[in-house]
Amino acid sequence: MTRQAFIARLREGLRGLPPQAIADIVADYDTHFADGAAAGRTEAEVAEALGDPARLARELHAESTLTRWKEERSPSSAAAAVFAVLGLGAIDILILLPILMTVGATLFGLIIAVIAVFFAGGVVFAAGPFMDPPGGAITALLAGIGLMAGAASGGAVLSLVSIGIINALVWYGRLHYRLLKPALQS
Amino acid sequence: MPEAIEIQLKKGALELCVLALLHRQDNYAYEIAARLADAIGMGEGTIYPLMRRLQTDGLVETYLVESPAGPPRKYYKLSEAGKRSFISQQAAWSSFSGAVEDILGGAK
Repeated sequence: MTRQAFIARLREGLRGLPPQAIADIVADYDTHFADGAAAGRTEAEVAEALGDPARLARELHAESTLTRWKEERSPSSAAAAVFAVLGLGAIDILILLPILMTVGATLFGLIIAVIAVFFAGGVVFAAGPFMDPPGGAITALLAGIGLMAGAASGGAVLSLVSIGIINALVWYGRLHYRLLKPALQS
Repeated sequence: MPEAIEIQLKKGALELCVLALLHRQDNYAYEIAARLADAIGMGEGTIYPLMRRLQTDGLVETYLVESPAGPPRKYYKLSEAGKRSFISQQAAWSSFSGAVEDILGGAK
């Protein structure tokens, strides 16, 4: 592969990253070719030793997305991090997928349940006192507040658990970079 | 799966090797890649994702040096956190590899 072809495939794979990051990465590999030429190696030799540009781009892409998740805890960066890890295509992740989906679905169900309990608490709080409940209006008010507070703390615990699970996934993904796969095999 | 074991071993050692090279002296990526590729047989291209990760983790810093031919060169150096990390990883590696050596020796 020529230098030009390598850089073109690398750029292709990096699409979607911030322009500055792409420029930095491309400059790194460009310098590598220049240094290789200075050391008397041909472009094809350098490209072969570097490895598959598409694979490298996937790893750089994943790294950058995972960094964004570390800096900004938002649902969109979480989703991006999860997809980046899946995109690394480690076979173990495929084995892990059913478990992940079960965990994800359970979390989703719990979140819906927490939201439902919160609203139920709201209804009890607002409407309860007028329904002539056993124990009087005060009981209904307190029960409503209790339900809402319980739901809020449940929600807080759930979001901590979700953050923990995604962090674990990110760690797992990093463990599976095939960083060292010799260039010839990749 | 001897191949899988080899990859796992090298993966664990790569970061430590990069930190060790930089602990000895500041260096630029081509030189690091060339030395490690020869010594532990890794794809040279893999050094760049690793260097970027070390940089985001704050273990290495970069600075530019004018080069006699061509554009300025980007040198990597260990940060204070990088030095601390190297020293603790080095100690962990020594005790671990010593223990493995002992067991392998006993298996002969």
